[in-house]
Amino acid sequence: MQRRLANVNMWTVSAAIIMILLFLPNLTIVTGIFSPANENWAHMKEFVLGSFIKTSLILISTTALLTIFIGLSLAWLIAQYQFPLRKFLKWALILPLSIPPFIGAYTYHGIVNYTGVIQTTLRDRFEMNLNPSFFDIMNLPGAIFIYTMFLYPYVYTITRIFLSQQSASLIESARMLGKGPWRTFFQVVIPISRVSIIGGASLVVLEVLNDYGVVKYFGIQTFTTAIFQTWFGLGDIESSIKLAASLMGFVILILMIEKLLRGRRQYSYSTTKVRPLPLIELKGWKAITATGYGLLILSLGFFIPIIQLIDWMFLTLGTIPMGEFLTYVKNSVTVAGISAFAIIVFALIVGNFSRLVHGKVAKLLPKLTILGYSIPGAVIAVAVVTAFIALDRFLAPLYQMLGVGTTLVLSVSLTMLISAYIIRFFAIGYNSIESGYDKIGTDFRDASRLLGVGLTKTFFKVDVPMLKGAIISGYILVFIDILKEIPLTLILRPFNFDTLSTKAFQYASDEKIMEASQASLLIVGISALAIVIFYKFLEKEPD
Amino acid sequence: MFISIQNVCFSYPNTDRSALDQFSMNIEKGEVISILGRSGSGKSTILRLLAGLEKPTQGTMTIQNEVIFDGKTFLQPEKRGIGMVFQDYALFPHMTVGENILFGLFQMKKAEKKKRLAEVLELVELQDYEKRYPHQLSGGQQQRVAIARAIAPNPHLILLDEPFSNLDAELQVKIRKDLREILKKANITSIFVTHDENDAHALADRIVKLKDGCIDMIGRPCDLLGIHPQPAPQFVPIQETRELVSV
Repeated sequence: MQRRLANVNMWTVSAAIIMILLFLPNLTIVTGIFSPANENWAHMKEFVLGSFIKTSLILISTTALLTIFIGLSLAWLIAQYQFPLRKFLKWALILPLSIPPFIGAYTYHGIVNYTGVIQTTLRDRFEMNLNPSFFDIMNLPGAIFIYTMFLYPYVYTITRIFLSQQSASLIESARMLGKGPWRTFFQVVIPISRVSIIGGASLVVLEVLNDYGVVKYFGIQTFTTAIFQTWFGLGDIESSIKLAASLMGFVILILMIEKLLRGRRQYSYSTTKVRPLPLIELKGWKAITATGYGLLILSLGFFIPIIQLIDWMFLTLGTIPMGEFLTYVKNSVTVAGISAFAIIVFALIVGNFSRLVHGKVAKLLPKLTILGYSIPGAVIAVAVVTAFIALDRFLAPLYQMLGVGTTLVLSVSLTMLISAYIIRFFAIGYNSIESGYDKIGTDFRDASRLLGVGLTKTFFKVDVPMLKGAIISGYILVFIDILKEIPLTLILRPFNFDTLSTKAFQYASDEKIMEASQASLLIVGISALAIVIFYKFLEKEPD
Repeated sequence: MFISIQNVCFSYPNTDRSALDQFSMNIEKGEVISILGRSGSGKSTILRLLAGLEKPTQGTMTIQNEVIFDGKTFLQPEKRGIGMVFQDYALFPHMTVGENILFGLFQMKKAEKKKRLAEVLELVELQDYEKRYPHQLSGGQQQRVAIARAIAPNPHLILLDEPFSNLDAELQVKIRKDLREILKKANITSIFVTHDENDAHALADRIVKLKDGCIDMIGRPCDLLGIHPQPAPQFVPIQETRELVSV
């Protein structure tokens, strides 16, 4: 008891408050399980739940394997070898992350469908009339392709940063022990980067489980589409909460598997000396293959859809007024910027708490808060709306005192949307910050405290500067994710508040695919710019 | 008595085995103590407990009659005035040598800081390295910076965790000599843990041999030469002729 009491300080208190706020909406889902089931739910359980689970399992497992394959192989090439265009590919390979999968989905569909560039060219130029079903991507393999091409950067970035900063002595000693590059890769690189790989892949899996745009557009039945249908189609919010609860169970299972795969090891390293990995120069066909592979993935995940979008943009130029568009840009950047900042600050506090306090509870609680990521945006939206209306009621006397004419203040403000983003995307920021903390270990903090510097000052003078990479990469990931978000924004935005993503989605779902290209390109443009700007801070090439 | 450790016990969370069992010893000011033992014998644990990085399950520890730990008190590491040199030095990679050393001197005035920095850099013979970053130094130089950083705030006690384990053999002998000179010149009480008998004999005024978390033997290096393990005396009287050095 005494040991615990001594640890109660500012960090514990702030972390506890943050975790409670993040966790509350999840509780509404949990309580939903215990509400009595209606006939819709009985029907779903008997006839369709099994197929949702099967489809979702195929989607996540295949996508996870493919993103690991692509992400890890690229990370290894870039971290270990020198070849033409390496420096460009190093950061450009993150760019596919700037394209929301739903935009990727409708763009690729536009490219390969009957009126798309491929089939038209084949017909007009080469007089080839191939079976259109050959080009059909609106199916499960198609969705897996879309997810893989636009989500692999999660595995790539996290693993590459790990490999280039932390693995030098391990990889070098493997080589000194006579292991060739392939054996080094399989016997050393994969095992030591296990945490990064699993961290990246679990983000991919969670993204896929949450996605609404792609599966809706391709007509694939998953948990998320079912939740929307039950809620908005059948008007049955109770059953949709039960579905969300099943999805949450699914995610808890995944997080448990992740934990199991990470193992008991504490992932800080035997050395605190951070030394970059010296590059090995590739020559001849090996160099060509490496460059070609990188360019192929980059083209599929970025250049091809971008070229198509630019083409569509020119076709529809002038149909949407510029002033309107600038407002969408401003709105998008403001909400994403504020939310991402808050998430990183919260993640730093919770991460530091988890590191300071020993014990299972302290390690488990942050894991629970990141469950917000597993809950579909629409369900978080309901929970947040309920909470904010209650808060407004509670604050009503204060509003009266201040002479505000209405009882709904917070629940019609941007605060609500930003809170929902924080709950939803905390996991992304936290994952990045947590692996940053893992990487620096505790020796630097201990050294600082023994030099007489308190915990809080140590945090600002030692931890934050050393976590710079994790902070910046976490910020980028969260910022881009919020920019692309749809369901939460659609439901919780204040009246007349439109962002680029809500506009793009509205056009695409109205089958105005070409019109959607302008907003889509702006989302991609801003995200890509964020990547390029922040890239400079992320990692400096060794001299 | 400068430092007193009485009946300290400790076990790591989630284990039954105690890492340290009823550990007691007294240390005089200016003494260089070596804790010798195999890995897993609990020697690093003693340093972490003294530093305040771990909390004993029971026992009492005092420095200059100030209680740093007992059943009621737990003084946070930053309040103890204890310096530590980590096994892999833990030099802040984002700070220069000078900034690393100045890190613990935040309470001093500017002129005082500058003077102290020059002093400790001279002590470890690294006057020209103030502007370098840790990764631009050799292992031996990094270690000397770590020592300078720990000594700079004038701690009551300095702890060294396996100070020679990262150095090559030739350097070890030189640094061992240097370290003894530095410690004696600075007149700082110090405890270092090692698994190497030669280190302990070359450096220490007294040696504590640890086995399975208990004291196996304790005494001056010359007394322990060639002795087979025997039960440790409860208390080792300090030679009265020893000249106690004041701060």
